[in-house]
Amino acid sequence: MLWVALHLPALSLEAFSALLGPDKAAQPTALVAQHRIEAVNPVAAALGVAPGMKRATALALAPDLLLGVADPLRDAEALQAVAHALLAFTPTVVPVPPCGLLAEVQASLRCFGGAARLWSRMADAVVPLGHCVQRAHAPTALGALLLARARDEPEPPSHLTRSALCSSDPAWAALHQHLLGLPAVWLAADEAACAQLEAMGLRTLGDLRRQPRAGLARRFGPGLLLALDRAWGTVPDPLEPIAPPLRFHSHAELWARADDTDALLAGAQVLLARLVAWAQARHARVQSFALLLHHESRLRANAQGEAGAHVSRLDIVLAEPTGDARHLHAVLRERLARELLAAPVLSLGLVCDTPVLGPPPDGELFPSLAGQREGLLRLAERLQARLGADAVQRLAVQADHRPERATLRQAIVGSPPDAMAGTAPQSAPQRLTRPAWLLPEPRPLPERQARPWLDGQPLHLLAGPERIESGWWDGDLVCRDYFIAQAPAGPLLWVYRLRPAPPQGEPGWFLHGRFG
Amino acid sequence: MTPNATPVCESRRAALLCEPSGLHPGLWRAAGQPVGPAGAGVLPSGFAALDAELPGGGWPVRVLSELLLPEPGVGEIRLLAPMLARLARAGRSVMLFDPPAEVNAVALAELGWPAGQCIVVRSAAAPAASGPPRTSAPQRPVPASRRAPGAPASTWAVEQALRSGQAGAVLAWPGRAARPEALRRLQLAAPAHEGPAFRLRVVASARQPSPAPLRLALQPAGGDELWLQVVKRRGPAMSQPLRLALAPVLSERALAKARALQAGWRPASLVDAPSRPFAA
Repeated sequence: MLWVALHLPALSLEAFSALLGPDKAAQPTALVAQHRIEAVNPVAAALGVAPGMKRATALALAPDLLLGVADPLRDAEALQAVAHALLAFTPTVVPVPPCGLLAEVQASLRCFGGAARLWSRMADAVVPLGHCVQRAHAPTALGALLLARARDEPEPPSHLTRSALCSSDPAWAALHQHLLGLPAVWLAADEAACAQLEAMGLRTLGDLRRQPRAGLARRFGPGLLLALDRAWGTVPDPLEPIAPPLRFHSHAELWARADDTDALLAGAQVLLARLVAWAQARHARVQSFALLLHHESRLRANAQGEAGAHVSRLDIVLAEPTGDARHLHAVLRERLARELLAAPVLSLGLVCDTPVLGPPPDGELFPSLAGQREGLLRLAERLQARLGADAVQRLAVQADHRPERATLRQAIVGSPPDAMAGTAPQSAPQRLTRPAWLLPEPRPLPERQARPWLDGQPLHLLAGPERIESGWWDGDLVCRDYFIAQAPAGPLLWVYRLRPAPPQGEPGWFLHGRFG
Repeated sequence: MTPNATPVCESRRAALLCEPSGLHPGLWRAAGQPVGPAGAGVLPSGFAALDAELPGGGWPVRVLSELLLPEPGVGEIRLLAPMLARLARAGRSVMLFDPPAEVNAVALAELGWPAGQCIVVRSAAAPAASGPPRTSAPQRPVPASRRAPGAPASTWAVEQALRSGQAGAVLAWPGRAARPEALRRLQLAAPAHEGPAFRLRVVASARQPSPAPLRLALQPAGGDELWLQVVKRRGPAMSQPLRLALAPVLSERALAKARALQAGWRPASLVDAPSRPFAA
């Protein structure tokens, strides 16, 4: 068994800073719990702010300190996101709150090509979530966790590729050797036990091991001895691995009230990183998700004074499922750019109910038509997110004699992919019978001297009539005689005359199209 | 020039002076014959007379060309159709941005252009940019933010399509948003696009300057023909407008009737003064 432990020492501060946005990365930041500073970032530490200070002292040392409230729920969600990222490598991942993670990777070593490659791929998976990580591996879970806490930088990949379960293995000896020097208070259950350990002069785990077991059990209870034995590997340590939830639901409270959509982007990016980690854990890709905006409820009252629902929902549907966080962020950014906020936003939620299960398609070394189609769909998604769902349309020919119904326009996202193949066109241009431009509404033309006039100029009918009578079955009967006319300036126009002739006073000639 | 230059250097120098574009793509000859073999950077237009007038022998790729029309529907689609149909049949898609009317897929099929490869983008429904966002007041909707205040959505859409390099050809109708700084942004994005790009403008005269390297003025010539004048190109000025025969719409009898109507009538030229190759 090879356990890898990840210790995230600054998890709560990083979970808070991620919501501030990249422009506040250089400012001193601190978290406050019960009126005392709990965690500080390096910029604030350089100014002299330290954990345990009072708020007023910290603000006096650093006047532009950004203070946030410590939130265990936010930390738990951040830890869960990192756990989901690790689930792509092994099914046995155990989060250890408040800021630790355990993963059993013995069975994954061969699949990922050795320990060194596995460590680097794990590091790449965790980097987008933006946490600094201390990593250690050991044959026991608790031992790995303690070693990870003791490290300052990630250890280099060692020669531990296989380790047996017997305790005479050199890996075990190294583990026991390292564990002897770690502080004993890390195994203490509460403050009283810590104080008692210090009073008794037991500073390291080696000191604890040298004491008689019966005495330790009497003074500290069975918990301390059990933890010690589990770390040493003499007692089995059954752990319950997590499973990714079937539906993704995550929440992020914004640092400040958001009045425009740009301020939502930082929080949305955090949520999208978590969504991608969850999708990877489930070996799926994301095709549709919804962003929930929680407003201040009292500002959403309508004209009658009743408070409406204070959550608005933005649904985003993609043409093809993707696991690329950058593309999701680009689409969401364009969609938010044209969205009108009904009220200032306090917090964001992200829901994804239906991921697309299955492995992603193979990548391509050389660009091909299929790769270009995917790139075109991504471009169309971005354009649709900004311009609207019906802004980008693909054309198709429909078999209908009525000219206005012969062209089918479908929104490009959501249409089946094999609509790309059009009808087999003729190669040599025969005589054209239909105009390239059709007016959306036929324009009535005045009639003088038995011919239609356009903009004060008579039209000369050159060809026709072509009689089109169709559409009696769906109530949209069309009876028209089409002529090709030429304006004095030269362009060719497609005009029609209604059949039967309308009563006097109503227009009988209409301009329907131009031959482009 | 060193006194003992070899004949090889001399001949190479002479060849470079004859064809300076071999040295750098930004160099071109101002006077002399513009006709040359169709290089890698041009697409044949399907009209031999037009290919003879275009620099390189066809429609240029990776640049934004301009077509100036008196009104939409003078024959510009039939002019571009042979080249666009060939692109579409090869599997590349053609994107049309804000066309002046609805595109008829049946007509495209008759021109040999598969309708499935035609994508129409309309940005008219997008809300116009209104400047920096205002902070909210209670009971009033908060306007969305804009990243580029003042840039119309249509220019943004064309720029995204050019920059992505995924479209086979781009045709844009800017309408009222034909501003010089918008055109400059599109020119900067055009080299990323692997295909021809056209901007079709309805103008009364071609006097407004524009940084497009190729500008053509079109006018209907009655029947199935088109008067075409190259207003600006990388080469000598065009002395006479060209009369091109487009894909036929009329039968012979109708064509004779059209010619009889147009006999002796020459359209007012879109170009007021003979254009010079260095006029921007």
